[in-house]
Amino acid sequence: MALSEGQSFYPGLTYVENTSLLHRLHPLVKLVLLLSFSLTVFALSSLAGEALLFGCLLAAFPLAGLGPAFFFRKLRFILLFGLFILLVQVLAVREGLLLRQFVLGPVTLSVWSAGLLGGLGMMLRFLNIIGASYLFVATTDPNRLAYALMQAGLPYRYGFMLITALRFIPLFQLELAQVRNAQLAKGIELEGLSPRRLLAAVKYLYLPLVISALSRVESLAISMENRAFGLYPTRTYLDFQALTGRDKLACAAIPLLFLLFYLALEKVGPPAGLFPL
Amino acid sequence: MEGVVTGNSVRSGPALEPVVEIRDLSFTYRGAARPALAGVNLRVYPGQFLTITGPSGCGKSTLALCLAGFIPHAYPGRLEGTVRIQGRDTRDYPAGGLSGLVGLVQQDPEAQLCTMRVVDEVAFGPENLHLPPEEIAERVRWALQAVGALHLKERKIHTLSGGEKQRVAIASVLAMTPSLLILDEPTANLDPACTREVLQTLEKLKAEQGMAIIVIEHRLAGLAPLSDAFLFMEGGKIVGQAGPGEVQTRYLAPGGGFPPPHRQPESRRPPAGKREPLLAVDNLRAGYGNREVLRGISFSAHEGETIALMGDNGSGKTTLLLALLGLVPLRGGKIRLAGEDITSRKVARRARDMGLTFQNPNHQLFEKTVAREAALPAHFLSREGPDRLAAKVDRLLAAFQLEQYREGNPFTLSLGEKKRLTLVSVLAYDPRLLLLDEPLVGQDGGRLELLLAALAEHRSRGGLILLACHEPEVVVSSCQRVLFLEQGRLLIDAPVAEAMARLARMGRVEYLPAGYGRKKVDGDGPF
Repeated sequence: MALSEGQSFYPGLTYVENTSLLHRLHPLVKLVLLLSFSLTVFALSSLAGEALLFGCLLAAFPLAGLGPAFFFRKLRFILLFGLFILLVQVLAVREGLLLRQFVLGPVTLSVWSAGLLGGLGMMLRFLNIIGASYLFVATTDPNRLAYALMQAGLPYRYGFMLITALRFIPLFQLELAQVRNAQLAKGIELEGLSPRRLLAAVKYLYLPLVISALSRVESLAISMENRAFGLYPTRTYLDFQALTGRDKLACAAIPLLFLLFYLALEKVGPPAGLFPL
Repeated sequence: MEGVVTGNSVRSGPALEPVVEIRDLSFTYRGAARPALAGVNLRVYPGQFLTITGPSGCGKSTLALCLAGFIPHAYPGRLEGTVRIQGRDTRDYPAGGLSGLVGLVQQDPEAQLCTMRVVDEVAFGPENLHLPPEEIAERVRWALQAVGALHLKERKIHTLSGGEKQRVAIASVLAMTPSLLILDEPTANLDPACTREVLQTLEKLKAEQGMAIIVIEHRLAGLAPLSDAFLFMEGGKIVGQAGPGEVQTRYLAPGGGFPPPHRQPESRRPPAGKREPLLAVDNLRAGYGNREVLRGISFSAHEGETIALMGDNGSGKTTLLLALLGLVPLRGGKIRLAGEDITSRKVARRARDMGLTFQNPNHQLFEKTVAREAALPAHFLSREGPDRLAAKVDRLLAAFQLEQYREGNPFTLSLGEKKRLTLVSVLAYDPRLLLLDEPLVGQDGGRLELLLAALAEHRSRGGLILLACHEPEVVVSSCQRVLFLEQGRLLIDAPVAEAMARLARMGRVEYLPAGYGRKKVDGDGPF
C-alpha cells in the first residue's frame, strides 16, 4: 500500500494546493494576519464587530479558491458546534428583555435578549477562530511555513521537529491500519467498549506502533546526524524565502489595521449597548 | 583474517592512502554478553567497491556503524582496536565530525528521508554544513545527476516508488561528497525492478566517482559484476574473502545464493471439472479511496500447490492477499473456499482457514515473550486443546531455530527471526491456506532452506500457499505456478517454466533467476 492511499490524518484539515493570492502570500505574513485576526476576535466586545469579521472570513474563502460550499462542507461540525453553543446560551441565560416564549406542552422556553446576543457572540467568536485557522492551514504549505519560521530565527531543531512530524504522520497512520489488519488476521477482535477490551486495545494496538516508531526514529536519527544535523548551531538554506519590502510593510500594517478596526468599533462604533457581548 | 582489497590498478599506486584502515577492532554493546565484532582488520582504498555479506547478526551493520563513527559516539559499549578514516582515528573526530567523510545509506528508505521534497532532502546535508546556497544548488544537481534522478528534483517524497526513494537517499548522502559510501542492505525492501534501478545507480557511481563504496548485502547476484572483492563475516569476524570471479563460480552458480533450482513437480491442477479448487477467485476488484488496485483478478488454486505472486511494488500483490482474507473491502467479484462462497464472510471466520503473514513483522508482534507470541493466534483460531497447542508451538519454535529466544521479547529479534516467528504463529493453528507476504526477506542461506522445507511440508499435507516473493530462484525451486500482477491486473497465470519464458519475452529480466538470460529465453527455458 502506498502512503498516498491513506486518508488525511485530520479529515479536511489539510493544505489545499492552489495559486490564489492568499496561497502565494509569504507564510510569515499570513501568520501575522492570523494572529492579528485572532487577537481582534478575542478583544472585541461587540456583536457587530464579530459579525463583520465573520463576513470578511466568508469572503476570504472564495478568494482562496475554496468557495462557500467548501467552507460549509469542511466546517460543518464546527458550524453545528457553534449552533450548539448558541442554543445553550439561549436556554441558560435569563437576563435582559424577554423576546419570545415557546410553549411546548408542559415546558415553556423563554428567549432573553442577553442569552441570544451572548450566544450569537460566542458562536461567532468560535467560528471566527476555527474558520481563520482552517483558512490558514488550507492555504499555507506546512513545509514552506516551517522553513520560513526557521529562516526567521526559529531554532532549526524545532523547525525540523515540525517537518519530520509532517513527514511521518501519514506513515504512522498507514502503520496503524496495518497493525489493525494484523490483529484481525490473528483473530483478535477489539470492538466494544468494556475496560478489558480497552486495555487489550492499548496492548495490541499501541505497543507495536510505539516499537515501530522507535525503530524508525533510530534510523532517522542516524540518517540526519550522518548528514551533519546538529553539527553547527545554525544552518544555511538552498531556497531562502526572504521577506520582500512589501511583505515587511504588510507585517507592520496588518496589526495596525486590525487595531484601527478594533478602536473604531469599540470607541466610536455602534452605540453602546446595541450589540454588546 | 584481514580483509585487504587488492587487484585493482586504480588503487595499487604507492602514494594512495587507504580511506579505511581497521586494526583488531572489537566492539561489545553495553549489556551484551558477547562482542558484536571481534578482531576485525580491514583496509579499503579510494575507488574500491567492496561487498560484505554474512548471516543475520554476524556484525555487518555494527561494522557500518563503526565506520560511520556512530560507534563509539552514539552507541555505548566497549571498543578495542582502531578505526581510521583518512588516517585519523574515529575516536578523535568530534560527534558528527565524520558526516562529510563517510556516508551511510540504510535499509529502509522510508525511515531515512526526513523532509517533504526531493530537493529539500538532497540539500539537507549541505545546508547543515553551512555551505552557501550556490554551492548547495550545485551539489544537489550533481548528486541527483550521479544517481540518475535529476528529473525527480521537484517531486514530493511520498509520491516516489521504493527504488526512487532509495536513489534519493543515496543522492542525499552523496551531496555530502563523502570519501566512503556505505550502503547497508540497500535493496532489502525493494522489488526486482527497483533493485535493478539501485544496482544501476551503484554501477554509475563506481564508473564515474572516485569514492570507495562498501555494500552490505545478502543477495550477491547483482553485486558480482560490480564488486572488486567480497568479504564474508560470521560471529563478528571476517572469515573469508573472494574475488568477483570466485564468488560467481563458488557462491552464485546457478542459483544466486539460494538453494539450487531443482525441477519441481508442475502444478497438480487437474483438468477442469475433475476436482474442486480449494480457492477460486472470480473477477475480484478492490481499492483504496479513488484508486482501484485490483482490476478484475480471476484464478483458481488447488490443494498441494505453492503459487508465487510476483510483480512490481504497487502492482496489487499485498492488496490481493488482504482482500482474500477480507481486510480490504471488495468492489466486486467473488471468493470461494472449498466450493463455498466466502465473499461476505467475516475476517475472524476466514482467518481459521487462511493464515496471513505480513511484509513488516513489527506490525504483527503483540506479546511480551516469543512463546506467547507464537501461540497468540492459535489461542483465538485453533480448535486444539491448550496442552497439544503448547507442545506444537514448542516443536515449531525448535524447528525454526527460535527455541533459545522462547522467553525473550519478540521485538528484540532480528528481522529474519521475526519473520520466522510470525510464520510459526500461523503454522501453530494450521490453516489450510497460507498467504505469505515476502516471508523470505532477511533469511540467510540455511534459514531460507528451513523455511522452504516447512512450506513444502505444508503443501505435501494438502495445504495451499500463495507466496508473494521477489526471489526468482526461490520461485523456480519451490513453486509450481506464477501469478504475475501488473497495475492490478493478472498478466500471467502459468506454470513456473512457462511464466519465466513469458517474462523473458516481456523483457522483465529482473524476475528471472541468475543465469536464465545466458540460456534460451524463447520458451524452452532451463526449467
